[in-house]
Amino acid sequence: MDLSRLDRRIIFLLMGLAIAIPMLFNVTLPVNVEKDTLAVYDKIEMIEESEYVMVSFDFEASSFPEMRPLAVAILNHLFERNIKVIGLALFSEGTALGFTTISDIAEKHGKKYGIDYIYLGFRPQYISAILGMGESIARVFPEDYLKKQWQEYPLFSGLENYDNAGLVISVSDGSLPIHWAEYANARYGVEIGVACAAVMVTAFKPYFNSGQLIGPVAGVKGAAEYEKLLGRQGAAQRRLFTQSSAHILIIVLVLGANLAAYMRRKR
Amino acid sequence: MKTRLPIAVCFVFGLFTLFQYFTADPTLESIYKEILDWMQIIFVFTLLVGVVSLAKIHSEKLIKKRTDWPYSILTILGIVVMAFLGFAYGTDWGTPFLWIFMNIQVPMQSTMFALLAFYVASAAYRGFRFRNREASVLLITALIVMMGRIPLGHMISDIIPGTAEWIIDHPSVAAKRGILIGIGLGSITTALRVILGIERSYLGGKGA
Repeated sequence: MDLSRLDRRIIFLLMGLAIAIPMLFNVTLPVNVEKDTLAVYDKIEMIEESEYVMVSFDFEASSFPEMRPLAVAILNHLFERNIKVIGLALFSEGTALGFTTISDIAEKHGKKYGIDYIYLGFRPQYISAILGMGESIARVFPEDYLKKQWQEYPLFSGLENYDNAGLVISVSDGSLPIHWAEYANARYGVEIGVACAAVMVTAFKPYFNSGQLIGPVAGVKGAAEYEKLLGRQGAAQRRLFTQSSAHILIIVLVLGANLAAYMRRKR
Repeated sequence: MKTRLPIAVCFVFGLFTLFQYFTADPTLESIYKEILDWMQIIFVFTLLVGVVSLAKIHSEKLIKKRTDWPYSILTILGIVVMAFLGFAYGTDWGTPFLWIFMNIQVPMQSTMFALLAFYVASAAYRGFRFRNREASVLLITALIVMMGRIPLGHMISDIIPGTAEWIIDHPSVAAKRGILIGIGLGSITTALRVILGIERSYLGGKGA
């Protein structure tokens, strides 16, 4: 068998096994916390209990398995610190997924809707929504996801615009954090934390280096690092084993293919 | 009139939005807030155009029995069923609309996305080869970054994740910054051309 010319079905099979087998074992790999993850963690640590943090669920259904551990880790931290959370979504598909996630985590922390958190729901046209919230959140979201006048909740009545938010966190699988940086940070000065898909890190890097965005907590690895910082054993730390085995398989395949091709040429 | 009016609207609102950014006048601010509301309203209508267009394309495909026409039945059925459920029972928590979204659409889309892992593995296997100097740089960079993003990299040596981070933080950011500056300059030029009525392709048709 020529290792440099493997049939792609064999590669698919090997990849399937590399993903499925580690899932059968509850193995936790050692995690080193990177400075990017620490930046978001430290920022949340500095926020006062009386402040609001907006968490925007800016992702689609396809990336929910990668996004959920990130959102869960961030929400666990916010609720542990008794910070008031305002959830919203700028992608329609993220609306229900964001509501399920925030409700689940809030319940685990014994937090009550309208007292500890609210969920504003979805608004289309994210640029105008981001700009609009800088002027008035109530104008963009007159009602919350449950069709209630959210300003009637006493603990949230003082929320007017980004001036009252200690931080906005975009949990995103796409380029939404760039829009948050360009419109909310540049125009209104609010700080933007990012929890994003691993594949998006390089796209956002210039914004992190310039201080327009904070973070990122990126992908399964970032979520696992965050879980470690919180001292919680979560889904991300278990998934890291699966991700690692997939990476190793690709590295072995690439090296094997090159070695086989080299040997063939030499012969 | 057909082209002059949209160009005039574009010119007035474009200039207003540009200059409003530099003022704190309350009247201009309230007009700006109104414009932001209108942007959202207009966007909702574009969604409607999208749905009508999708339905039209698939209806034609179905009627003329073009390639893969049975899939068009599913698409049209999906639009009709979801629209009916949404209008009849709402889209709130606990409605059939949301049940279908959570239990059919989310798993299906996640499955499709997960297939990427298999194609990435196959593409990496075929693409990363020591063919020439440039391909070798790409191969070595990819291996270091892949290794640096998993705990094994740390376990072998801290140099691996350190190098991976350096690659992402420096050469990659330098390239990205160049692209971003290009995009920024291009966006400013295009915006000015649209505001001044030089760029008219957004109007469509022959007169544009």
